[in-house]
This record gives sequence, structure tokens and C-alpha cells, in this order.
Amino acid sequence: MTSLWLAWRTTTRYRVRAMLAIVGVAVIGALLFDMLLLSRGLLDSFADLLRSAGYDVRIIGSEGLPIVRVPIAGAARLAADLRARPEIGDVVLVRIERATAQGAGHPPRPITIVGTTQIGGGPYTIVKGEDLPATSSSWDRCPILVGRRLAAALGVAPGSSLRVSVRPEGIRSALPPIVCRVAGVVNFYFAATSEDAVATTMDALQEALGTSGESADLILVASRPETGPAAAVRVIQQLRPDLRAYSNEDVLAQFNQNGFAYFRQISFVLSSLTMTFAFLLVATLLTVSVNQRLGEIAALRALGIGRARIASLLLWESALLVGAGAVLALPLGGLLALGLDRLLRQMPGLPDRLHFFVFQWRAVMMHAALFAVTAAAAAGYPVWLATRLPIAATLRREVVG
Amino acid sequence: MTATVLLAASLAGAGDSASSAPPPGVLLSRQLAARARISIGDTVTIAIDPAGTRAVSLRVAGIYEPTPDPLRFTAQRLEAHMHLPDLVALVADPTDPAAREAVDAINVKLTDPNDAGRFASDLAVRAPSVTVTPTSRTRDDDPFAVLDRFHVAISIVTVVGATAFLLALMVIRAEERRETIAIMRLIGISRRSLIAAVAVEGLLIAAGGALFGVVTAFAAEGLVNRFFQARYDTALVFLRVTPSIAARSIAIALPLGLAAGVGASWPLLRGEILSLFRR
Repeated sequence: MTSLWLAWRTTTRYRVRAMLAIVGVAVIGALLFDMLLLSRGLLDSFADLLRSAGYDVRIIGSEGLPIVRVPIAGAARLAADLRARPEIGDVVLVRIERATAQGAGHPPRPITIVGTTQIGGGPYTIVKGEDLPATSSSWDRCPILVGRRLAAALGVAPGSSLRVSVRPEGIRSALPPIVCRVAGVVNFYFAATSEDAVATTMDALQEALGTSGESADLILVASRPETGPAAAVRVIQQLRPDLRAYSNEDVLAQFNQNGFAYFRQISFVLSSLTMTFAFLLVATLLTVSVNQRLGEIAALRALGIGRARIASLLLWESALLVGAGAVLALPLGGLLALGLDRLLRQMPGLPDRLHFFVFQWRAVMMHAALFAVTAAAAAGYPVWLATRLPIAATLRREVVG
Repeated sequence: MTATVLLAASLAGAGDSASSAPPPGVLLSRQLAARARISIGDTVTIAIDPAGTRAVSLRVAGIYEPTPDPLRFTAQRLEAHMHLPDLVALVADPTDPAAREAVDAINVKLTDPNDAGRFASDLAVRAPSVTVTPTSRTRDDDPFAVLDRFHVAISIVTVVGATAFLLALMVIRAEERRETIAIMRLIGISRRSLIAAVAVEGLLIAAGGALFGVVTAFAAEGLVNRFFQARYDTALVFLRVTPSIAARSIAIALPLGLAAGVGASWPLLRGEILSLFRR
């Protein structure tokens, strides 16, 4: 009889306690798995979100995340200069303003309006209708893409009209509303779940503001693959040292340092606690179980079964309990992650596509490795106890006594 | 009236002031003062850009600890507070007469806070370009309310795992005492007395564990706070074990311990006496 078979027989003999131990390990393992997913989930999700826009360098007018918006003066000129450089693949200007939108029979609703020079595709998925036209025409001066939530709230569809009043920040303005045509209904990647957003062409937004196209809030740059984003950042710094240019990697590093710190810390603390908890659970159960079976183990030793096989038996018992719990923990953790993710995504201002728990094979591997270590460590003391016991004295005490 | 400087400020210590009138005062955050090695009474130069454009000399009147902000605990609080006229003189565009009248925000304290909604609509009619935002958050738009729910969810999962652990231990203990219980029942000790005994045992184990947990949490509170306050250079309190939290932990642990104790021993107390001797 192999050690594994003997361990299996022992585990199935004490079904209730084995089942409870497996349930305990599975629940704690599910939490550990979720914390491993959380340890990089938000960062990976944010990286996906940044890359989904198709641009790898962002230019803004102030350092870090702007608290007060600093518009980029001479943005159109800068874009033209950048397009002429061999390191740069594409340049897009973005301007963001607050506005109100009013559909027929609905009160005005505050919205965020984004004007962009991007042609053909953007950080959104078209749900209904079509994309913004490549060029504006006299009959279609204000084509707009409307977020799905706003479209449902205002009861508009492609072809409908919306009255949009732009309210430039920091300027007391009574600009007249303009009538815009809904070209499409979209899901914006960067819009918060509670945010009503509208995208239009930069020309249309400038016209609504009554200004020329020289200013932007953000410039998105796609570097050429052969030179990479670092070369693009250097070019931008040479052309406009007063601006800040960040590659996607820079933004991620800053996010990892600042915005993600809380979740990294809680993930580390809870992972450590759950590991300790799983270790205590299995070590205690095995130790108590060995103490109950001292006579049996002494008898096995007296029959000639060596210390190594006894140690192997206990290691297998630990592996069976921890292994079964760890395997169950994966689907349980997946379900729990869905619930926790839904809960955390209720945070205000988060983009709809951002997730806290993102599946990664790296997390599964780490989960398996941590549980293997836990199983081995938890078996340590019971193995020491079982292999060191004096055979004759134990038999006399446990059997004869 | 003061305003927070939110601009690229170049700051350099200057030992003396040549002008006869004393320079206006400025308050620096503790972090900024430490980084620039500035003390109270020093004269500093603040400009709107690193090139020193429109630089003004100011006297450091005090050093303050920035109000801890949980949303910005990782940010370096390099800040200065100065009188609004001094700030406007520094940053306002001299070619724009309206710039001296511009502010980023106006804080308003209402006589009756319940009037916030009516005040917002009145102001929206009189000044359509102004946005009115309440300073207090509602439960729906508070990120900390969401974090609170997240922590509660994690606590529930932990309690479920701990209950399985406790139940497994109690089952082992009950099995250990199978024959003892059989003998006690044989000599006439009632089931009720035996149930009371295992219930008290479960309660004692749960109470001991809960008390140990509360004491550990109280002991860890200072360590955790000191570690993270040093790590992020902030006065923010990260962990606070309140009496209500301690009471809630004990209130959850005790019934669970009771249920685990009785539940694990129930098959032995309910069954036939001979079956306890495996007959």
C-alpha cells in the first residue's frame, strides 16, 4: 500500500472533518486567489484601457493629473510640427468641455462633450448608427456620438437631433444652443458609469464655443513602431519644453505609484493573512489528527514502516486537504471576484471598462505555488511529532494503558 | 481668506529682505518646508514657473500639517497657503482686467444646510455658467462607502472560512470524547446538561479567540498606522479599532462558537448510547 493510498484511506475515514477542512481551505483559498487577481488586476485593466485608444503618448499642459485644467496653447501648430517628424505616426487633438443636452420633451441634462480630430474609430464601440464623418459639411455641422446611457435617458437614436449648450469652464457664458445630429450611439471606454458623454468633431466643438482651433486639453500621439514612444517623448520635449509628455508606461508607473497603492497594499496584507490562516487551519487539524492516532502510528512503525513513509503519509494527507481546497478555491474565487468587482466598480468616476479583478494565469500559478508551500509547511510539525515518537512507550501508553 | 497654490511654483530660500516693508506672509506645508529646508521667518521666492516669471518674495509665517485626504494619501503634499490678494497679484494676467476678479471656487456656508437644493437651483438661474456642488458626499457618490462595503464582503468571507475551521476542530474534539459522552449518558447525566457543557465550551473557545483577535488588532493599530504614516509622509489614520468594531467582532464570534460546539456534538448527544460504543 502506497503512502498516497494510505493517506486517502485516512482522509475518507474521517469524512466530516476532512470535508470541513477542505471547505475552510477552499473559502480562504478563494479569498487568496482574489487578492492575487487584485494585486495586478486594476493595473492590467488600466493598461488595456490606455492601449485601446491606439495612442502611446499623451501630452498635457501641467504636471501629473491636472487638478486645474491647463489648456495647451498652439495645439494645432504643435500637431502639424509633430506630424512632420519621422518618429511620429499620428496626432489627435482632444478638447473636453461641460455642456447640457436637451432632447425633445426632456429637460436639459448636464453632459461632458469631447471634441476630437480623430477620424475613423476612437476609444468607443459603436452600438448603433455610424462613426463621426471624416469631414464636416454645411448640412451636418454638428455630428455627435452619444453614450448609450444618455441616449436611453433622452430617448434619442441615430438620426435624432439634440440641442447642445456648451459651458466653457471658468468663463461666464451664455452661448446659444446648437442643434446636433446623433450619428451613432456608442459605449465610451473612458467614460464613467455615471457619466453622460458625447463626442463630436473638433470643428463642431470649436464652432459651438465660437473659438478658433488653436487650443486643446490633451494631445494623443502614436509613435512609429520602429522608434517607439520614448523617441516620441523626446521629440515633444524638444519642440515644447513647457508641456508634459507621458508614454503609456509613464502613466502606468504613476498610476501604480499613486492611484493603485491602496489596492496593492490591501492585496498584500490580505494575501499574507489568508496564507497564515490556511497554514494554521491545516497544521492544527493534522496535529490534532496525529495526536488522535499516535497508537496507530506507533503500531505502523512497530510493523517496520519507516519514518520516511510515515512522513510521506502525513505529507500526502496535507496535500489532499490543501490540494482539494485549493482546486475548489479557483471556481469559488472566480465567482467571488465577480461579486467583489461589481461592488468596487460602484466607485464614482470609474471608466466603465475598468476592472479590479482580472484573470491572469500568473495568479493561478502563484496560487498553486503558495498552497504547495502551505501544505508542506503545515505538515512540518505533525511529521516531526510522528517520526520522533518512541514506539514502545507510545504503544504501552496508547494501547495497553 | 486664503487660497491653495495650485501652480508650478519655483521656491528658493533667501536669507534677507532688502525692502523696507515686510514681505507678505505665507504658510508652507510641513512636507514642503522639510524638502526645501525652510524654517519660520525665512523669506522665500514664489514664481509662476520654474524660470522665475513674476517672482515675489514672501515671509514664511508658519508651517502647517495638511489636512489628511484619504483620496490623495500617496500624493506629496508640497503646498503653500497665502492670502487671496497676494495670490491674485501673482497669477492674474496683467493684460486681462477681469483676471483679478477670477477665482476657482467659492465656499458657501448656508444658514440652513437643508436649503442646499433650493440654493443650487436659485444660483443656476442667476448664473447659468456656475456649477454648485455640495461639500458633503452622499452615500452613492462616496468612494469610501464602496470601500466600506468591500471590507464588509471580505469580512463575511473570512468569517465563513473561520466557521468551517472552528467546526472541524469541534468535530475532532467531539469524536475524541465519544466514549466519555457515552459513559456520562450511561451514568445518567441528562442530554440537556451535556448540551449545556458543549455549548459553554464552544462559547469559551469563541470568546477566547475573539478576545485574542481584538487584543491583537488593538496592538497592531499603532504599528500599522506608524508604518503607513511614515511610508506616505502623512498624518492620515489608516486603521482605527473602535469599541463598536470590537463589540461587533465578539457579537459575531460568540453565536458562531455556540453553534459550532452544539452542532459538532449533536450527533453524539442525539444517538443511541450503544451506538456510541460502536455496538
